[in-house]
Amino acid sequence: MAIVEAKNLSRVYGSGDMAVTALDAVSLSVEAGEFVAVMGPSGCGKSTLLNLIGGLDTPSSGSVMIDGRDIAGMNDTELTALRRQRIGFVFQFFNLIPVLSSVENVALPLVLDGKKADEANAAASDWLKRIGLGDRLKNRPDQLSGGQQQRVAVARALVSEPALILADEPTGNLDSRSSDEIAALLKQVSGEWGRAILMVTHDPRIAAHADRIVFMRDGRVVDDAKISGAESARAAMEKVGLL
Amino acid sequence: MNVQLTLAIRYLKGRKLRTALTTLAIVFGVMLLFGLNGILPAMLQSLQSSMVAATGQTDLVVTSKSTGQFDASVAATVAGVDGVAAATPMLRVPVALQPKKYPVGTISLIGVDPDSAVSVRPYPVTSGRFLTADDLAADRVWTGSGRNPSVTLPDSTAKSLGLGVGDTLEIPSAFGVTKLEVVGTLDILTVPGNDEAYVSLPAAQAMLDTGNRISEVDAAIKAGSDRPTVTAAAQKAVGDAYLTGGVEANSSLFASLKLGSFIINMFGVFAIVMAGFIILNTFRTVVAERRHDIGMLRAIGASQRTIFGMFLTESLVQGVLGTAIGIVVGYGLSSAALSGLSSIYSDLLHLSVGKPVFLPSTWILAIGMGVGVTVLSALIPARAAARITPLEAMRPQMGDVYEKVVTRRAWIGAAIIAAAVAGLVSRNTSVVGFSSVVFLVGLALVTPALVKPVTDAFGRAIDLAFRQEGALARANLQRNAGRAAVTASAMMVSVAVVIALLGTFTSVFDGFISYIDKAMGADFLVIPSNMLLSTGTVGANDALLREVKATEGVGDVATLRVGRAAMGTTSLQVIGIDPVAYQKVASFEFSDGSSQVDLAKLGTDSTIMVNGIFAAQNGLAKGEKLKLETPAGTKTYTIAAVGSDYLNAKLATAYVSQSELERDFGVTADVVIMANAKSGADKAASLASLKSTLKDFPQFALYDTKEWRDLQVKTFQQVYGAMYFMLFVLAVPSLLALLNTLAIGVLARTREIGMLRAIGSTRKQVRRMVIAESLLLASLGTVLGMLAGVWLGYSMVDAMNTVGFKMPYYFPYNGLAIALVIGMTFGVVAALIPARQATKLDIVAALHYE
Ligand SMILES: Nc1ncnc2c1ncn2[C@@H]1O[C@H](COP(=O)(O)OP(=O)(O)OP(=O)(O)O)[C@@H](O)[C@H]1O
Ligand SMILES: [Mg+2]
Repeated sequence: MAIVEAKNLSRVYGSGDMAVTALDAVSLSVEAGEFVAVMGPSGCGKSTLLNLIGGLDTPSSGSVMIDGRDIAGMNDTELTALRRQRIGFVFQFFNLIPVLSSVENVALPLVLDGKKADEANAAASDWLKRIGLGDRLKNRPDQLSGGQQQRVAVARALVSEPALILADEPTGNLDSRSSDEIAALLKQVSGEWGRAILMVTHDPRIAAHADRIVFMRDGRVVDDAKISGAESARAAMEKVGLL
Repeated sequence: MNVQLTLAIRYLKGRKLRTALTTLAIVFGVMLLFGLNGILPAMLQSLQSSMVAATGQTDLVVTSKSTGQFDASVAATVAGVDGVAAATPMLRVPVALQPKKYPVGTISLIGVDPDSAVSVRPYPVTSGRFLTADDLAADRVWTGSGRNPSVTLPDSTAKSLGLGVGDTLEIPSAFGVTKLEVVGTLDILTVPGNDEAYVSLPAAQAMLDTGNRISEVDAAIKAGSDRPTVTAAAQKAVGDAYLTGGVEANSSLFASLKLGSFIINMFGVFAIVMAGFIILNTFRTVVAERRHDIGMLRAIGASQRTIFGMFLTESLVQGVLGTAIGIVVGYGLSSAALSGLSSIYSDLLHLSVGKPVFLPSTWILAIGMGVGVTVLSALIPARAAARITPLEAMRPQMGDVYEKVVTRRAWIGAAIIAAAVAGLVSRNTSVVGFSSVVFLVGLALVTPALVKPVTDAFGRAIDLAFRQEGALARANLQRNAGRAAVTASAMMVSVAVVIALLGTFTSVFDGFISYIDKAMGADFLVIPSNMLLSTGTVGANDALLREVKATEGVGDVATLRVGRAAMGTTSLQVIGIDPVAYQKVASFEFSDGSSQVDLAKLGTDSTIMVNGIFAAQNGLAKGEKLKLETPAGTKTYTIAAVGSDYLNAKLATAYVSQSELERDFGVTADVVIMANAKSGADKAASLASLKSTLKDFPQFALYDTKEWRDLQVKTFQQVYGAMYFMLFVLAVPSLLALLNTLAIGVLARTREIGMLRAIGSTRKQVRRMVIAESLLLASLGTVLGMLAGVWLGYSMVDAMNTVGFKMPYYFPYNGLAIALVIGMTFGVVAALIPARQATKLDIVAALHYE
């Protein structure tokens, strides 16, 4: 079953002479447990696509179905609830609340959803242990390395058991070793734990961990290739002229 | 714990300095509001309880509405009322004792009729005896010498005076000092520190020279009678000129204490509103600073309400914390103030005050204002925070929207200012008062638009001292024009209020001094030592006047006598003068087209002169009729003139001839004697012999007018001292605002400062940048405040002129100088902590700062 079903999505910023078409009739679907990478030059509309799918932004035209529900008619409260329960986010920056510890940051979506603090904290420590940060439970973000911070963010994206994880350049800030660790972790998230992942990245090595790469240019999808391993990824990228 | 509270507390802990500064502002406001309000109720309560103690044993008390004295026959009227078991006449007058002779400053001299007194309430004796009919009979023919009348004292008074049966008590009287023989001590309740001396009614009347007059009638109600019914019947029997029941409502002291508490509340509210400014500023910054956090929270599923609630909770925590600390500190403040004041209070009013008293309303006011203003001030930023969309949070904020808001607000502000100006020139006091507030609000709205032009202008001056850092400091301020404007507004309001008050006070002060110089032509002045003409004063009979007149070197002499009257519910003092003699030694400041010719009309056919303040308060003019309740009943006078003398310029006062005062008020005792030296006479010698004459009249003080003028100047200067303290209190919030803004400015720019340091700025340059910014901000607020303050002060003086306080306007040069110095000092002082913070930043940590 498709977790994400985007049809003819367009997003136009501004109006008249100033209008910028950031996204131009993009259609895309992501299946449960599928790991999809989105690649393309800067300004081609990758983030815009992710924001529309995540319900952070509203499309100028087209529709988005998450879990079979059309998000077009939802108001802010419904969208918020949807994000809280069905979608996990990992951003490039500002992922964590600086005054909260790792556990508290991870527990946040559950607490916001009305869960009891100890239940939420238990689930949060559980996820942190699973991603190998069992010894950093009480540390605040400024006491963690960049890679560790992103792993905490991934744990937080997972804690509410969402169907979909949206990651916008989750490794954009990291060195190659930390990037590899995050990519491997995301691979595990989709492979082992069955979450659908839509990840924007500029890094071919990271994209190579995905099951599928969507290539974009000037607000359109120019190619959509299934891959398995670094070799096929390289081939797909060469085909669209990205390498 | 719920998520909002957790986040709120964590964020507050994460920025300790800022939290402390913001909370401090609330603490300060609540401290003033709560602490100051504990003082006055304590005083009121002790006053009240002394009155209750004095009358509490009695079922019914009848007093004159004008708080004056009345004929003793009223006692018989009350005794005849249905349901009254017994009624007794009493004369109760506070008398100042000779200084140093007794450890007590004032004592209530109470004249009683022994026979009827004991049937109204018991006077249990602990030693000796109570007064008897024999005392009464003997005192009736007593003329001030030959024997010492009997006196009985409550145990507490006997103890504090150190007297027992057989001892002698000396009390100033119309004959000079009168010696009384203590014949008994009584087991009756008085408020601690409230001392009383009971003598026979004729003795008291002779000592106080009141004729057959009394100040109250105490009555006992028959067992089984309904108290309200009897009270109503008594009221009907004695008529409108009297009050039945308690005495406290009629006290003018109550009125002034109430006014005092109103003024004090205004100070507290002012401080809290300033705290509101600070909170508003802090939360605006906090919201800006946390944009990314908010965006992320929204993205992962926090609702708008959660975000809104988070900020409100944060303000609530600070409000509760600040209020709690403020209440504790305020309690300390009022305890300290009360113990400091209690000696003055017991000397002056002869009452003792205990612990501070906090009425339920004080609690409600302090908590309501402290928590309420904090939460209210956070409301706008919290709403703004809730409206941040996750996407916006990831992008830099746009500037042009703010510019538009600023321009719109500036126009609204300009319109408000225009309206306020119209109100300020209206010359109507209450309109002027209201308009000044509106004026400041308008100015606060215009301020954001002024930040850029004014800082540009000042920037040039600042550049002289801060060549490298000046431009950066200016840019920092202009970048956060909103924050700078709120701070400058807070400072402006403080400075404006300070200068306006200083301007008004200076004018009042200088006005009165020049008034003294003009009006007090006399060389010698004999006035009551406690300065209150109509209360607590024992007048002197004509023996003193004769002696003064007979003194070698003394020329023209004039006297003032005082009675009290009521007009409707307002009471006033009525001063008896001899118009001819008065003009020779002093003069009036006439208004309403009156002159000395009109003054000369006093003395014939119920003519009266009223002073400016009384005329203005009651809309009276020359030629109109004035109906007054006097001890002799309702009398109608014709207003012959409007004019004021210096001594009574501040009180509602009317003047009649001394013969009229005797006719309608029964007063013949002099309370003020003014005398001229004969030309060529030896002034020093006259002064010395006058001094020896007055030895027998300790209730009076003798002054050389010049000396007295100096004393007045000194008194004013003491008032000045108190006023400077108040002004300081008003200024503190603006210091806190400045400090807070700079501190959050430095915090918000931590990364930037780290970058500056990384690329080679020295610590000194960073510090100078912060100081330059602070000075710019302070000068902005100070200069605006100075302009507003001068003008507000002028309007206030102008308005006071129209209500009868004639005074010239004096430009507050000293106020401006002080404001400028304080403003700039605050600028530097406020910069110290934030500058230290900025220079001590660890570069690496600062660069990683979020
Ligand atoms: N709020 C906005 N107003 C106007 N134009 C916008 C806005 N947001 C994005 N755009 C434009 O839309 C286009 C797509 O932007 P988007 O952020 O989706 O690019 P991107 O593919 O994520 O780029 P990058 O790889 O640099 O992150 C860009 O041309 C951008 O300038
Ligand atoms: Mg992007």
